[in-house]
Amino acid sequence: MEIIVITIFVIGYLLIALEHPVKINKSASAILTGVICWTIYAIVEQESIHHISEQLAEHLSEISAILFFLMGAMTIVELIDAYQGFRIVTDRITTRDPKKLMWVICCVTFVLSALLDNLTTSIVMVSLLRKLVPNKNMRLFFAGMIVISANAGGAWSPIGDVTTTMLWIGGQITAVNIIKTLLLPSMVCMLIPLIYLQFTLKGELGVLEKHDQINEGGHGHGAHSNKEVKGAKLMLFLGIAGLISVPVFKTVTHLPPYLGMLLALGVLWVASELINPDMDEAEKKPYTAAGALTRIDVPSVLFFLGILLAVGALQSMEILSRFAAFLDTTLGDNRIIITLIGILSSLVDNVPLVAASMGMYSMEMYHADHMIWEYLAYCAGTGGSILIIGSAAGVAVMGMEKIDFIWYLKKISLLAMLGYFAGAIVYLLTYPFFAVHP
Amino acid sequence: MGTVIIVVFILGYLCIALEHPLKINKTASAILTGVLCWTLFAVASPTQDLLNSVQFHHFLEILEVELGPNFSSMGQNELYLKFVTSELSHHLASIAEILFFLLGAMTIVELVDAHHGFRFITDRIKTKDAKTLLWIICWVTFFLSSVLDNLTTSIVMISLIRKLIPNKDMRLFFAGMIVIAANAGGAWTPIGDVTTTMLWIGGQISTVNIVKVMFLPSVVCMLAPLLYLSFTLKGELGKTDEFQTMTSGDLVGGGKLILALGVGVLVSVPVFKTFTHLPPYLGMLGGLGILWVVSEVIHPELDEAVKKHYTAAGALSRVDVPSVLFFLGILLAVGALESMLTLHNFAEYLAHTLGDNRIIITMIGLLSALVDNVPLVAASMGMYSLAVYPQDHMIWEYLAYCAGTGGSILIIGSAAGVAVMGMEKVDFIWYVKKISVVAMMGYFAGAATYLLMDSIR
Repeated sequence: MEIIVITIFVIGYLLIALEHPVKINKSASAILTGVICWTIYAIVEQESIHHISEQLAEHLSEISAILFFLMGAMTIVELIDAYQGFRIVTDRITTRDPKKLMWVICCVTFVLSALLDNLTTSIVMVSLLRKLVPNKNMRLFFAGMIVISANAGGAWSPIGDVTTTMLWIGGQITAVNIIKTLLLPSMVCMLIPLIYLQFTLKGELGVLEKHDQINEGGHGHGAHSNKEVKGAKLMLFLGIAGLISVPVFKTVTHLPPYLGMLLALGVLWVASELINPDMDEAEKKPYTAAGALTRIDVPSVLFFLGILLAVGALQSMEILSRFAAFLDTTLGDNRIIITLIGILSSLVDNVPLVAASMGMYSMEMYHADHMIWEYLAYCAGTGGSILIIGSAAGVAVMGMEKIDFIWYLKKISLLAMLGYFAGAIVYLLTYPFFAVHP
Repeated sequence: MGTVIIVVFILGYLCIALEHPLKINKTASAILTGVLCWTLFAVASPTQDLLNSVQFHHFLEILEVELGPNFSSMGQNELYLKFVTSELSHHLASIAEILFFLLGAMTIVELVDAHHGFRFITDRIKTKDAKTLLWIICWVTFFLSSVLDNLTTSIVMISLIRKLIPNKDMRLFFAGMIVIAANAGGAWTPIGDVTTTMLWIGGQISTVNIVKVMFLPSVVCMLAPLLYLSFTLKGELGKTDEFQTMTSGDLVGGGKLILALGVGVLVSVPVFKTFTHLPPYLGMLGGLGILWVVSEVIHPELDEAVKKHYTAAGALSRVDVPSVLFFLGILLAVGALESMLTLHNFAEYLAHTLGDNRIIITMIGLLSALVDNVPLVAASMGMYSLAVYPQDHMIWEYLAYCAGTGGSILIIGSAAGVAVMGMEKVDFIWYVKKISVVAMMGYFAGAATYLLMDSIR
């Protein structure tokens, strides 16, 4: 039975990785993989069905804690975007010096992506680039750096990146500690490529077109008219405050983070409905959370559901723990394994990789805030920058700027890898000094 | 603390009911209510009542086995927090099962709809007479929901009446009757409704017997409102020309295929469950996966942008996600009340003060219009033991009826109602004014029928 399940998992994984040539949506492949794995498990071991149901319920509970967290976060970000709240930040960037601009853009991306998800951050920043850097060749380098900064910025914050969030929700890492230990490595991961480009980057930003550029379109995916809606500042403030309050909520109440996220969403929702009392229902709809919910990416929520269910099946059948034992005997050192996982995450989605690692290593052996969890958060979060298809941010930027896979491989991959290893070394050198590792 | 949470719960309910005058979306109120209830529950100091309860001791026993020697080092507060989070995680699992089931079913129906698949059914219903149509719709719903679950049935039926009844005012009455018929139809078969299934799995009722004694009361429960509306319902179905004139030329291909597959999937979900003993949401998701692939493969001639509309990804963007989150909020809130043993205590309080089992169970049915019927039935199953009340005892059958049909009295009282509310934007207050009384009529008529039959037996 195990061979069959593994085969199905591998086929499913291939279908997901080859989504574009095969032309089957990866969410469909993921859902089917998850359902088929559990079905086979349940049919073959029919006599222990009670135990299997319990395992499944436990997995579902963990998975939905992640999914509702994501849905809440996506809606909040979408809502800020609908009010064009990010403009308040991006409108302040006016410098015309390429090198200076590169620093500003990278730093803003780094900070934003620690608060928001990497995907939104890179979309917001790339739409800004289009206005500030008309020169296409130059812009591609900026876009590449945005991918690196967004991924690096997400890795060290419990709310910044799906994989770090998963580890946080699962209890493998704690909020304060992950920030303490990963902030420096993440910064190094971004700084190394940035400094390198300082010396080698040549060229001009290009001439700004005077008028029409400034007001062209809203940011991000909300395709609204340019009409200004009141409350951009309020929504940005409330949204960011809501997102930041999630870790605080967890610390105070000890309840799972998705509840904190839902609370923040509820507050923003009410605010979004009350903020424009003069508008009528239909006009108001795009600017309320109900409208924002119609624009969030539900298929990717189902993708996570499917792939996490599949990984859960492998975990329940103890395939993962045996695989971990196998890796331990062949590769020996955890650090090497995790470094490889990071590099692998540039080829395949990092969510299942992290889910699998969480299943491979038990919390009894590796307690909360153990080195391997933090290092995993770093590697899975930043390794994806090495290839343009390696992260959600990369894929989005690729779509928006028509970046060629090969171009990125030639010009950015090496830099990204440099940053990745530099950050990794910094982590491995510094973690003993950041306490809490008993 | 218990009182504070109950007050929050009631306030939340009021905000949901008064959605329109307050101008606050009911989903926001529901989410906030759910989160606040759990937050208060977690930060409160535990009551003695809870610490002495069977549930808490049971939890401690399991924890002791799990933790081994570490167990004794934990303080009471830590234990209490562990209890709260473990309860929450159990609730989340069962809530997520319902939500993903709902999401899957709604997407499948939406996908069939995008391919105009329902045309093949609605084209066969030729009647222009509102009353005849109402009878047809109700009976079809009734029997469909006895095989499928109430949720799927009502989603499918709502999609059908959208095609048949362009007149919005009229459609709302049909929507209300679909809720009543779906709940009534679910009560008399072991697989038709969650609570009946619970009693069946728990061994409180047996298949043949429940069908035999429950069929008539369930029919009455639907018929009473149906007859009443047959006399009072006025108005037109509205012009259906928009749908009639659509020729096959305007349509994208594959409507029949998608309809057949969609219905096939919905029908095979119970089969999947019986065969694998896995929860039904997995079957629904598997079915969605298959339809998703098919929907992407059958339109090779369309370009990406046009095709998007006809794929599951496009269907998902049209599904009403707020009603999924609404359900999440409501069920979380009710879950908190359940874990605090409020519901349990209330049911026991009812039992002590009212005395007569029949009155207690009737009250439980009415209560299930306010809170989810699953915890209520679970509490009742815990309250009465099988030793005193053997299988197929009157109280079990009557409980199956009351918990199954009582939820129709309010629109948010049943899963079917919530789905219909999301799809047709039925207002809480409108439902209270126009449908609740008829639903209650049906509820009591069916109950009287059952009690009468029982006294003759």
